[in-house]
Amino acid sequence: MATMTKFQTNDKHRFLLNMGPQHPATHGVLRVILEMDGEYAMGIDPVLGYGHRMQEKMAESRVWQGFYPNTGRMDYVGAMPFNHGYVALIERMAGIEVPERAEYIRVITSEMNRISSHLLGIGAYVLDLGAFTPILYAFDDREDILDALEDITGSRLTYCYYRVGGVLKDIDDTFIKRTRAFIANFRKRIPMFNDLVTGNIIFIKRTEGVGIITADMARRYGATGPTLRGSGIPYDIRKSEPYSVYSHFDFDIPTGKNGDSLDRYNVRIMEMEQSLRIIEQALDKLPEGPVLAKPKKTKLQEGDCSFSVETARGVLTYYLVGDGSEVPYKLKIRVPSFSNLSLMEEMCTGMLIADLVSAMGSLDLVIPEIDR
Amino acid sequence: MSLVNDTLGKLKAGQFDVLESDYKKSGYHLEVKLNETQVQNFARMMYETEFYLDFVTAVHVAPCFQVVYQFAHFNEACRINAKAMANEAREIPTIADVFQGAEWHERETHDFYGVVFTGHPDLRTLLLSEEDADLKPLLKKEDKLVSVETITRKSEAEAEKKPVKKNIEE
Repeated sequence: MATMTKFQTNDKHRFLLNMGPQHPATHGVLRVILEMDGEYAMGIDPVLGYGHRMQEKMAESRVWQGFYPNTGRMDYVGAMPFNHGYVALIERMAGIEVPERAEYIRVITSEMNRISSHLLGIGAYVLDLGAFTPILYAFDDREDILDALEDITGSRLTYCYYRVGGVLKDIDDTFIKRTRAFIANFRKRIPMFNDLVTGNIIFIKRTEGVGIITADMARRYGATGPTLRGSGIPYDIRKSEPYSVYSHFDFDIPTGKNGDSLDRYNVRIMEMEQSLRIIEQALDKLPEGPVLAKPKKTKLQEGDCSFSVETARGVLTYYLVGDGSEVPYKLKIRVPSFSNLSLMEEMCTGMLIADLVSAMGSLDLVIPEIDR
Repeated sequence: MSLVNDTLGKLKAGQFDVLESDYKKSGYHLEVKLNETQVQNFARMMYETEFYLDFVTAVHVAPCFQVVYQFAHFNEACRINAKAMANEAREIPTIADVFQGAEWHERETHDFYGVVFTGHPDLRTLLLSEEDADLKPLLKKEDKLVSVETITRKSEAEAEKKPVKKNIEE
């Protein structure tokens, strides 16, 4: 806890420290106002909304097809699952069947996107802690994924590839060859990454025991994704409410033990291995057939409908209320980072500022997703 | 499915208006209708049965707001959707004292709709800037506003009859 000096008789010697919105460790335009007592953060007030675009209003003011591009622009690092949640929601509402090949392609591309997102998350996190080299290796591997996905989706970051009833374009042999080459290559790179970072004594000292999240805390704040699984709770929407064809594959949910920053980092590393397993199985079993069902003119039925998917950062829920027209009456987008960040005040109060940066980085936040 | 049945029983014993819902169509297992006075008790019960808070939001309908709470469970697939109508003064009790994560969700809902969560520790603007505190961007214009019945799922028998879209002015 805070150091005591002869000047310090009460809270008079506290001062405010402004972190962000242009601070490198906040990964985007997040501002955190800290009430400092020396090096210790005794009060934390995150200020959101610098990247706010009112996505939910946009959804209400156009026909549902018009919202496709928006779904890729919230979590720009892991856009595929955001696409997935939206199309799957409309499919559930309208009762549209999706060709099996399309579902397989969705799983393959989503998992590749998850790996690329984790690579960026891990690379940037280690960079926050002062190690510059690992992000270069991480981006090198991430580049392979982006190149492969660019070929079939047309974009490198803000994907808009899924359509209600399937996917926009079929994958070809080049993509399959490239993906297999990536899997083989990346399997060799993970041990190298572990040698470089995971066992590093400085890295362990900076992360072990820092920013502990308990199960009760996760429940009260609704923390999900690797942030939750680091605390030892094997909760993953892909297993608990299996959507798409995830039930066809054999994969594990990696968890941590202590719920500290190191565990959250380790969970991300292990999740990449699991994603590789899923992609491999999906490529082996990939069925033939069409990839896009014939589009029908679809009106959104009266009533509400909800769909949750597991993004790279946790549970994403789209909650749509329809009034029988083509325009959604209401669309709520529950994003994982929003809930994950909300526990920061409780997690970080009383921490050294250097530890706070470490704990915040381990949440792997994407700010445009929080601000929507 | 045991958790769904367990929770259904517990909610019924707690005098809540609860219905089973078709997960394949609605995306949640149980649907709960709350009145204003039950919100706090419901949240406490969700906490005791170890549910986590997925989100809180509101829907602008005539005559007032429908506040929506969604909960899910870490152990088993059980998603609960609860709806409560805010009173005429646009007020509803907060659940942020039970689920601290609701604090931000309620602040956001207050930003967008102007629903006042009574007892909330800090209802400053969250995503909007302070100058836009009175903007309430998600309020519907009068010609777009519909009644609660229009946005309620029709039961199968009703759905067979041709649904008539009702506008509140009619």
